[in-house]
Amino acid sequence: MRRCFALCALCALLFAATTVAADEYASVRDKLATCVPCHGDKGASKIPLNPILAGQHLHYTYTQLKDFKSGFRKNAIMQPMAQLLEKEDMLLIARYFSEQKWPKGSSVADARQTATGQKVVTGGQCIQCHLGQFEGASGVPRVAGQHPAYIEKTLFDFKNKVRTNSPAKNSLIKTFSDDDIKAVSAYITALSP
Amino acid sequence: MQMNHFKALALGVSLSVLCSSPALAEETSKSTLYGDMLSVTQDMLDHAAGDANNFLHTNGNYDQTRYYPARQINRDNVHRLERAWTFKTEIVESLETTPIVVNGVMYVTTSFNHVYAIDAKTGKMIWHYKHKMGPVTTYCCGPNNRGVFPYGDMLYMGTLDAKLVALNAKTGKMVWETKIADPDLGYSETMAPTVVDGKVLIGTNGGEYGIRGFVKAYSTDTGRLLWTFHTIPENSVGVWATHDATGKDMLRDIKAEKAMLRKKGDPYRTLGGGVWQNMAVDRSSGIVYFVVGNPSPDLYGAIRPGDNLYTNSLVAVDLDTGKYRCHFQYIAHDVWDLDAVSPPILTMVRDKTGRKGKHKKVKGVLHGGKTGYVYVHRADDCSLIRYSEPMVSQENRWVLPTKEGARMLPGANGGVEWSPMAIDPNLHLTYAINLHQPMTYHVEETPYPGGKLWLGGAFKVIASEQQWGNITAVDYNTGKIRWKVKTEQPMIGGILATGGGLVFTGEGNGMFRAYDSASGQLMWQDKADAGVNAPPASYNVGGEQYIVVGAGGNVQLNYKRGNEIIAYKLKRS
Repeated sequence: MRRCFALCALCALLFAATTVAADEYASVRDKLATCVPCHGDKGASKIPLNPILAGQHLHYTYTQLKDFKSGFRKNAIMQPMAQLLEKEDMLLIARYFSEQKWPKGSSVADARQTATGQKVVTGGQCIQCHLGQFEGASGVPRVAGQHPAYIEKTLFDFKNKVRTNSPAKNSLIKTFSDDDIKAVSAYITALSP
Repeated sequence: MQMNHFKALALGVSLSVLCSSPALAEETSKSTLYGDMLSVTQDMLDHAAGDANNFLHTNGNYDQTRYYPARQINRDNVHRLERAWTFKTEIVESLETTPIVVNGVMYVTTSFNHVYAIDAKTGKMIWHYKHKMGPVTTYCCGPNNRGVFPYGDMLYMGTLDAKLVALNAKTGKMVWETKIADPDLGYSETMAPTVVDGKVLIGTNGGEYGIRGFVKAYSTDTGRLLWTFHTIPENSVGVWATHDATGKDMLRDIKAEKAMLRKKGDPYRTLGGGVWQNMAVDRSSGIVYFVVGNPSPDLYGAIRPGDNLYTNSLVAVDLDTGKYRCHFQYIAHDVWDLDAVSPPILTMVRDKTGRKGKHKKVKGVLHGGKTGYVYVHRADDCSLIRYSEPMVSQENRWVLPTKEGARMLPGANGGVEWSPMAIDPNLHLTYAINLHQPMTYHVEETPYPGGKLWLGGAFKVIASEQQWGNITAVDYNTGKIRWKVKTEQPMIGGILATGGGLVFTGEGNGMFRAYDSASGQLMWQDKADAGVNAPPASYNVGGEQYIVVGAGGNVQLNYKRGNEIIAYKLKRS
């Protein structure tokens, strides 16, 4: 009986140690909880105008949080939330989302949107940064499988200088027509890397 | 002298083939002129130009000629070239690696810094190294890597997260790594390093992110920083040059620039000037030659007054100290991203016409400019001897970028991109691969965005216009084009010339072709499953010459991606 108790105690200790090691996000759990209403469970947003964060690249998400905090990227909801974050919080939150699985997308592009979208992204040399399937890398966001409505709004925000924290996008996207933006949004979000 | 070494090595190979006795084979493989052939000695590296067994440098040798001396595969038999083996890497993404071959072992890299050691005779994997990438990487134009450099028992590689790593060549285990620069500010590494006399020389990417460029030297044994040459001096203003290297007016507003200089001061801290291709090393003088990339931001010049030294320049520094020796700037205050990228080549060239119309031969430096010209310099003072006929269309050149976009040729990917040239010193020809890609140049006032992409506008490919490529042979003693072959797509990747009278180069559509180096006549071709946009190499194992190339496509021009390293040899008749 005593041996059994000792074994159980050892197991409990081991389990506790494993739990502690596994929850490297303990310090930001409460902050992560505040993301859920808008960005969904584990960042798998189902709201068309709120971006999917699950599976997004760490460097990109971290940079956006940094930009919200500094005011480089403006957003009435995100800016106050980012004010509460220290650099280590931002890195942890970004890493947490990067480790989640990107939800399976369901958007499709029709033939016209695909043809126009391909032509526009080729002309803009978008693939040089976003890569061939628009999977992105590091500081360049994945847009394949993202909500089309969010991407379309983002592109219009870049065009109209509502969003200015990536100036190269402002310069490029202002050369796109409104129809081009709609087609590109449909095309690149329908891709599945 | 080099041919004598070549003959000696070739004799060594022949003996090893003829001698079937294990004892004799052991003796020939262990006793060569240049060491035990298992570990890469400085002597082997110095004599690489005459080494018809190995391929030790990304561009063939310290002179970067990409001229491989073997002639087993030649004009007469190249039609019998066939695949010996194909190796598939784990990464299906842009391949820009030059395979390095040391005594029958090949080393290749892939995008995202994987390294493979492969049996060069069979294509079987020996080991596979995956770099543990840091969370922050900043780069444009693809997660590329162009290869390793072998030295002693080690391999050296730069990484996307701006580190230099040293691997054990036998096991693929990391021996040390050192941080080169901060990737959060736009620094990254895609070039293969160059190693010489115990120093690892490496530059940096980042001309699109407002970095301050450099070339650094690290010790081979521990990775200790030995010296840094800043490609952007604290006084980057220069001489207010109004014309480019070919004498064409660049339409600078010098008055406005001077006013901006008074107001804002020297812009050197964020002026760009990456060095992302290998340097040539003149072993007789101890001078290192490299070319420096574009100023940041690419298109918006008003914020960076002056010539923006040493962007868009050939620069020479002392190997031992990194001290400045000379430079030549092709385009002062560039606002078109037509920088200097393709690696410089050292070779003897005809100097300017002297008295009585006589020419002297001098040590020269060749550079294939993004402008689409081959520039020929004196090595002793970097001065320009001549520039070639243009290899690509020049339309509206140096029109200033506008808000609406101004059309110009060459486009921003240049007339020659990063693709290394090759030479045939016997024909005094240099071979370049070209792009014809019309673009519009758009400018927009843009303050420094803190390590983010900083173009100061946009480049746009004009989708309605036809694009194509060329392979061009230029006589570097006269600047005349000897021959030119048109290809269906813009060319990117690199080229190899061989002693067999051939040049090898690949295309975005998967074609890999051999041409007669004297005439440009198509001699052989094969089709890969992806774009062949990597520099080819050659080597010899067991008495058989191989040609090897990566077929992984290209991000920059969006050529079909793949993951194959393909080796060819002659079909036995």
